[in-house]
Amino acid sequence: MKSDREKESGAIVSQREETVLQRLRRQGISRRGFLKFCTATASMMALPPTMAPAIAAALGSATRPSVIWLSFQECTGCTESLTRSHLPTVESLIFDAISLDYHHTLQAASGEAAERAREEAMARYAGEYLLLVDGSIPYGDEGIYSTIAGVSNLEMLRQGVEGAAAVIAIGTCSSFGGLPMASPNPTGAMSVNDLMQRGAIQRRPLINIPGCPPIPAVITGVIAHYLTFGTIPQLDALHRPLSFYGDTIHDRCYRRTYYDQGKFADTFDDEGARLGWCLYKLGCRGPTTYNSCATLKWNGGTSFPIQSGHGCIGCSEPGFWDAGSFYEALSMPTAAATTATRAGVGVGVAAGALSAWQNLHQRNGARTGHQEVKLDDLERG
Amino acid sequence: MSASLKRGLQAFDEVIDASVASFFSSCVHCGLCADACLFYTETGDPRYTPIYKLKPLQRYWNQHYTLGGKIASYLGLTTAVDDAELAEWQELIYNSCTLCGRCSMVCPVGNDLTAMIRKIREGMAAAGYAPEDLIAAAGRAVKIGSPMGVRLPALKAQAAHVEKDSGLEIPFDREGAEYMLLLSSMEIMNYPEYLEAVARIMKQAGKSWTLSSEAFEATNTGIQIGVSDIARTLVKRVVDAAEKLRVKTVISPECGHAYTAIRWDGPNLIGRPYPFEVLHILEVLEQFRLQGVLQLEGSESQRLTFHDPCQLVRRGGVIDPPRNLLRMVADNFVEMGDHGKMNWCCGAGGGVGANESAAELKMQAFQRKKRQISELGVDAVVTACANCRIQLEEGLEENEMDLPVLGLTELLAEHLPQREKGERG
Repeated sequence: MKSDREKESGAIVSQREETVLQRLRRQGISRRGFLKFCTATASMMALPPTMAPAIAAALGSATRPSVIWLSFQECTGCTESLTRSHLPTVESLIFDAISLDYHHTLQAASGEAAERAREEAMARYAGEYLLLVDGSIPYGDEGIYSTIAGVSNLEMLRQGVEGAAAVIAIGTCSSFGGLPMASPNPTGAMSVNDLMQRGAIQRRPLINIPGCPPIPAVITGVIAHYLTFGTIPQLDALHRPLSFYGDTIHDRCYRRTYYDQGKFADTFDDEGARLGWCLYKLGCRGPTTYNSCATLKWNGGTSFPIQSGHGCIGCSEPGFWDAGSFYEALSMPTAAATTATRAGVGVGVAAGALSAWQNLHQRNGARTGHQEVKLDDLERG
Repeated sequence: MSASLKRGLQAFDEVIDASVASFFSSCVHCGLCADACLFYTETGDPRYTPIYKLKPLQRYWNQHYTLGGKIASYLGLTTAVDDAELAEWQELIYNSCTLCGRCSMVCPVGNDLTAMIRKIREGMAAAGYAPEDLIAAAGRAVKIGSPMGVRLPALKAQAAHVEKDSGLEIPFDREGAEYMLLLSSMEIMNYPEYLEAVARIMKQAGKSWTLSSEAFEATNTGIQIGVSDIARTLVKRVVDAAEKLRVKTVISPECGHAYTAIRWDGPNLIGRPYPFEVLHILEVLEQFRLQGVLQLEGSESQRLTFHDPCQLVRRGGVIDPPRNLLRMVADNFVEMGDHGKMNWCCGAGGGVGANESAAELKMQAFQRKKRQISELGVDAVVTACANCRIQLEEGLEENEMDLPVLGLTELLAEHLPQREKGERG
């Protein structure tokens, strides 16, 4: 008789043999619905429409890749973003269609069985699995601030990265440090990239999908890209996929015309706010934030923060918690001038004025004291 | 401190103004002005970099007009501008600059270096560091009325020759004439045919004109040597004469710096606008052409090029008129590589030609013009400045190039219909 453990691993294998398409069909998604998803994904990723059949063919035949999702210093908002859709969407189902071998929140197993599932998947699919990470990693004091089953987050990540084909950092915390890293950063929190850069974990191809939380379609889009092409998409300098993070919110914002016309809301309840004018003066971070909220939108394409009347808070940018108040315009100084700087400016102006007066005095003195230069003066002496 | 040095430094104080302060402050030390200066390009000596020629003025400004400089000189970290420094810079300021203005054109931050050389010369002259020859020329200009010592009788004699040759009257002191003609000493002594050419053109155009026996000299040594007091005296003579004769227009002759002096510096020197207009002879001829009163016949088949006098194109903006006029008579006119506002100087302007200590250097500088001319393979060079003309003639001869140098006005006069000549006795 097989042990429980053997039964569990057998189940993992049989699920993996199912293709993504078969799995979706079993969940009631029609082939037409699937193709629509593929076309949408192609357009989201800025691929030519002719790529949609390629995506369909790839997803249709791809067996479910093993995915290990590690959660560290996080709030589960990233998972919520993906799973708490109003209706089950293709996005959530394709996510479901991957072989999610380990995920704290979603897996049924708990305790030792849960950890064993992770270890087995890591061993069985070494070098092949995708490692998804949300939450930042405490690095201070040897990472003792967060442990799971007695293993520090840092150590668990180190082990997970070793056998991973690629790492996808989901959310701002794992991409850039996020809230846990905000000053004074008591746990020494770091992003996955920080740790790779300083050699605390091995380097693997890394895709950052920042956002607090990230847009669900972006997560599935990146996974679909990986399944289709077997490569990671084109990234910017911060490891973000260019197809989703290539433009600023501001450049794609439907209120951009008001900005160009100089029409701004000055308070949240003035005429400008009611007329839907630009929220720049109220602290909107749209001009400095690279993300797709203004085009893909949230909640099944219903809306996004600016559309609901609040400025972008720049949640997908590095260091967003430490970048000052969300309600001060970008070009305003984040701190008021101190008495010392005021005094310094005063002294400088006074010194400049005195110096200018002295200069004028010298020049004018020379001019009024001008003695005609005669021919005899051209000789020295 | 010697009395002369004190005078020189006071002159620095007088010329340092907002433009000097902003020019020195905004210099980015790019060195582009070096490649614009023919004294640098023809010698390869980095001391001839235009901004470097201004070092004494720049140091004086820094020490007396900037906060950092004031503190540095208070702490004794810098040495004051002294006689030794000015003596060392004399050659750079007078011998290796023709005030041609090419460096001002290329400066990426827009510094008018030429204007600053003109200013630093005020201090140099007052401190006694002007070249001997220029001091002597200034003396003749003030005392005799001409830097070459040409007196009225000499002019009258030349005029009598012209009258005899052409049968035309050379009018003197005619009140209410439309134009008052100025001449440069060089034209009186070396190129008297200019006077005849103007007389014949005026006759055909039917314009009244005159010379003044009190102010016929257009050259202004005060501008070249850098003494505004002398420049003012010389300008004032012309202004007084023109006002006395109530002329409408004063014509600056074919002489570059004379034009700059009377046209641009003059009103600033005397501190008021003129009641008359000042035009260069080429501008007058261009007006005649447009009015249709300059009728020419025949054309030159020889291959010609035009050497732009710097003061005319760069400081005065007279670029198109000489070309329009030349095309009236030249079938085979070719432009030099750099022409118009970016032309290369002949190497003898701004007092360099009159300065014997710069004789060797100006011939070295002429190499640029020599190359430009040889490349074109022309039969003759036309210009519109007596000073350029002398330098071109000397330079071509020294380099054994057998090319005639023509004055544009004379060239045009040669194409006046022959019947005009001698019509009036």
